[in-house]
Amino acid sequence: MSTFTLNDEEIEFKPGQTIIEAAKDNGTTIPHFCWHPKLSISGNCRVCLVELENIPKLVIACSTQATEGMVVYSESEKTLEARNAVMEFLLINHPLDCPICDEAGECKLQDYAYKHSIGESRYVEEKTHKDKRVQLGPRVMFDGDRCISCSLCIRFCDEIVGEPELTFIKRGNGVTISTFPGKQMENKYSLNTVDICPVGALTNTDFRFKTRVWDLSSNPSICTGCSRGCNIDVWVINNEIKRLTPSFNKEVNSYWMCDDGRLNTFKHVNAKDRVDGAHLRKDGQLIKVSWDEAFANASSELKNITNKEIAFIGSAFSTCEDNYLFTKFAKDVIGCKNIDFIRHTNPDFGDELLRQNDLTPNTMGAELTGVSPKQGGLNLDGIVQGIKSGKIKGLFIMEDDLLEAYPELEKSLPSLELLIVLSSNFNKTTAFADFVFPAATFAEKNGTFINFNGRVQRIKPAVETTDLDRSLDGMAMSRLDKFGTSFDRWAIGNKHDARASWKIISGLSVLFDKKLKYKMSENVFDDMSKSIDAFKGLDYDIIGKKGVLLKDKLNEVTQTV
Amino acid sequence: MEKIVLPDIKDLHKIEVYKANDGYTAINKALSQSPDDLIEQVKKSGLRGRGGAAFLAGLKWSFMPKTNDKPKYLCVNGDESEPGSFKDRQIFELNPHQLIEGTLITCYAIGAKTAYVYIRGEYHKWIKLFQDALDDAYEAGFVGEKMKETFNTDFACEIYIHKGAGAYICGEETSLMNSIEGQRGYPRVKPPFPAQNGLWGCPTTINNVETIANVPKIINKGWEWFSKIGEPKHPGTILFGISGHVNNPGVYELPSGTLLTDIIYKYAGGIPGDKKILCVIPGGSSMPPLRGDGIEGVKMDAESLKAAGSSIGTGGIIVMDEDTDLVKVLARIAKFYYHESCGQCTPCREGTSWLVRLLDRIGQGNGSSHDLDMLIDVASNIEGNTICALGEAAAWPVRFMVSRFRDYFEKRVKKEIVLPVKNKVHSMRDTAFPLDSP
Ligand SMILES: Cc1cc2nc3c(=O)[nH]c(=O)nc-3n(C[C@H](O)[C@H](O)[C@H](O)COP(=O)(O)O)c2cc1C
Ligand code: SF4
Ligand code: SF4
Ligand code: SF4
Repeated sequence: MSTFTLNDEEIEFKPGQTIIEAAKDNGTTIPHFCWHPKLSISGNCRVCLVELENIPKLVIACSTQATEGMVVYSESEKTLEARNAVMEFLLINHPLDCPICDEAGECKLQDYAYKHSIGESRYVEEKTHKDKRVQLGPRVMFDGDRCISCSLCIRFCDEIVGEPELTFIKRGNGVTISTFPGKQMENKYSLNTVDICPVGALTNTDFRFKTRVWDLSSNPSICTGCSRGCNIDVWVINNEIKRLTPSFNKEVNSYWMCDDGRLNTFKHVNAKDRVDGAHLRKDGQLIKVSWDEAFANASSELKNITNKEIAFIGSAFSTCEDNYLFTKFAKDVIGCKNIDFIRHTNPDFGDELLRQNDLTPNTMGAELTGVSPKQGGLNLDGIVQGIKSGKIKGLFIMEDDLLEAYPELEKSLPSLELLIVLSSNFNKTTAFADFVFPAATFAEKNGTFINFNGRVQRIKPAVETTDLDRSLDGMAMSRLDKFGTSFDRWAIGNKHDARASWKIISGLSVLFDKKLKYKMSENVFDDMSKSIDAFKGLDYDIIGKKGVLLKDKLNEVTQTV
Repeated sequence: MEKIVLPDIKDLHKIEVYKANDGYTAINKALSQSPDDLIEQVKKSGLRGRGGAAFLAGLKWSFMPKTNDKPKYLCVNGDESEPGSFKDRQIFELNPHQLIEGTLITCYAIGAKTAYVYIRGEYHKWIKLFQDALDDAYEAGFVGEKMKETFNTDFACEIYIHKGAGAYICGEETSLMNSIEGQRGYPRVKPPFPAQNGLWGCPTTINNVETIANVPKIINKGWEWFSKIGEPKHPGTILFGISGHVNNPGVYELPSGTLLTDIIYKYAGGIPGDKKILCVIPGGSSMPPLRGDGIEGVKMDAESLKAAGSSIGTGGIIVMDEDTDLVKVLARIAKFYYHESCGQCTPCREGTSWLVRLLDRIGQGNGSSHDLDMLIDVASNIEGNTICALGEAAAWPVRFMVSRFRDYFEKRVKKEIVLPVKNKVHSMRDTAFPLDSP
């Protein structure tokens, strides 16, 4: 292994690595704006200037390759002077409008101004003004004054998405970002530019001005928009999700996520049509009742239908734990063989980068946990036919909208004797349900998804329900969560009366002979890992933060982004 | 004294006249030798680049890889946009075939089959003149496929003219390559250097027009002959373009090492109205200015000027007489680099705007001694911290002008100097170019 000296410490490097990369691998961050591990080197910000022994001019650590025996100083007086100078330059024409800037609190320029700057300005001249509030595309807004011309956004579009949409225009101090004439930035990943923009120059039109970021809590989770299973952080204030951002996972999504996943997978959590508490139909109306009453009525009605006349529809939107108990309930409790789930695909959704045509997060999980017809049972088509023909009299649906997927069932659903639906939101199917149990969303429970590649990944709650407690259930707490009182406006947010589907099923099973009793989703998983080969040897700790490949997938080539 | 690049031969731009004066014999001679031999000769001749940095031409050529896995290119830099620099256009106009012949020899020496001559966009006239000459050379079979027949060789070389679009920065070698490729004129981060990774990622050599125009004579008359002209460490003649407050501005081809005062007084006819010299910039506006009272004995070659605290640059001498408003001059120079900064890297993009605003304020009479310190500080913070040398080009004039003329600038901010009413940057207007003359 080759080595060089960084700040009097000998560090190892791989051939071809630059100083900044080698330093990073050894736990030292050399300050930088324009460098990104996944993008080409532009060398334009000049913050990473470092001193090399016996070389009079400073060099940039992002483009200078490490060589054996090289002696590098990233904190020497000369380096600090240059860094201070560059920071001063970056700030002279910057509007310094942090108090009204969305980026404040997570702004690299702000952070660096504290860390690497002299802390005061010598600049008394007029500042350069550039265009503000430029809508670059449907989802991204640009503020020219704040831009530090690092070109990360341009390189992202060019190199990661492969759709050049942005460019610098003008020159010198007038340089600014623009789309090409007559074009918009509308690539399917455009919002990642907001994440990598070190300043508040690019903002997310869906999120800007909604809140101050330091008032948000963030919890790790998985995007439910497709079977890629991008790793995300869920940002919450007052128990409402405000945004999702990608979090790095080399094996899954690198640093990125798509705009659809980011914008369209969480709005239902905060939506007005949430099912709040257990509901049953009385005199044609769905009314809210106690859980006990709903369980008692549902179980007795379930017992009235023979196991041949009932069918179960699980869900690739639900976790493995949910589907596992769902299958167990159908098979072992009810003794029903008619069980399947709806596949949601869109041949136009997928692409080469991240997006998959399978629009659910857990198809493989539903398959592996046995959500498929048992010998002699009906599959989805059979179930749908059975509903139409009247052969199926009772239906138990978990976290899916059957009527949305099969509009032709509109006439037959009302004639079912029993329709039990576990759902987070009211939808077309719940409109005909006899029982609606409020299912917790992905953001309100623990569990696992298996992505298209066979990687098991954990989701964790970020939003409280009446069933979950932010501190007891180990959710991250924002400043407001920690220090507020229950009288504060931002502390009275909605908590829905909802439970994870596995928990609902477990509660229902108690009224049957065979009881499916589990305390936590983790216990469900442990049980799964004992009874299903693919999960053997796994537990939540082993799955950890980045997930693991299922054993039978390990030998297959994994796709690294 | 013999002139190498711009000899006094009437109609030399015409191909027959050039041929009649040993034209296109050097390429013939070169083709009978090995490329390495040629590089060696140019190295030994001591020819140094005339584009600003005075880098040894032969040495630069020797950086080109010997392998042939990728095409190689030569770029001939005729962007000539530095204020005070106007000598390459004389070559396009008066001796274009020598440039063409030099280009062919250089291509052969470095293994390139394609050369781009990059000409400043505003040089419409000289682009046309050079294109005419190039057409004639193609016609005569000296360039392109026909070369093989003409010179009985298997070497052939194409020469293209690439017109700039009006950006000084495109004279910087890597920016020039981006410009030829059709990219934004952004200088590239070095390393990799052009010899490894130049035009379209291929090995490329870039030389100034004047540098290349010297090559045929070196081959024809031998490196020893060339190395004995002028100063040994920077041999040959140099095209000195002199402008400003002199009676006879223009381009003078003189041996390197000619006294600056000789150029000003003997060749350019002295200062209008016999005024004293306040300041001289010896190598184009980006080079450190010299005090008028300190130019006695200063010789015009790279080493001597370095010793005198400046640089030969492009040999563009700008003379300013005692009535010149140096604040205005410096503000104008700073504005040029501010305007021409490509805006890619932080210190230059932001720092040039700061310099301009400081200087404008001082020019408006609102400056202080502290602002002069700031000028030096800001300039020093740009210097050495940028992607390309435009950073230095912007910083040097400011840093050196203010520090070398501190007395003058102090008096100006304290309003102790009363400028003559008619004082303009062109204070010589009335004397040198009387407005009422026909
Ligand atoms: C901002 C900038 C502008 C330049 N403009 C020119 C130019 O117009 N012509 C030129 O020959 N060299 C110019 N140069 C120098 C070139 O980068 C390069 O060094 C030169 O063309 C090499 O030729 P030479 O070795 O023959 O001198 C410029 C350099 C910089 C930094
Ligand atoms: S908009 Fe942001 S990412 Fe793009 S160049 Fe400006 S600062 Fe960099
Ligand atoms: S690619 Fe799929 S998982 Fe990733 S963000 Fe988009 S929808 Fe979500
Ligand atoms: S120094 Fe100036 S001209 Fe050169 S790359 Fe940087 S910004 Fe562009």
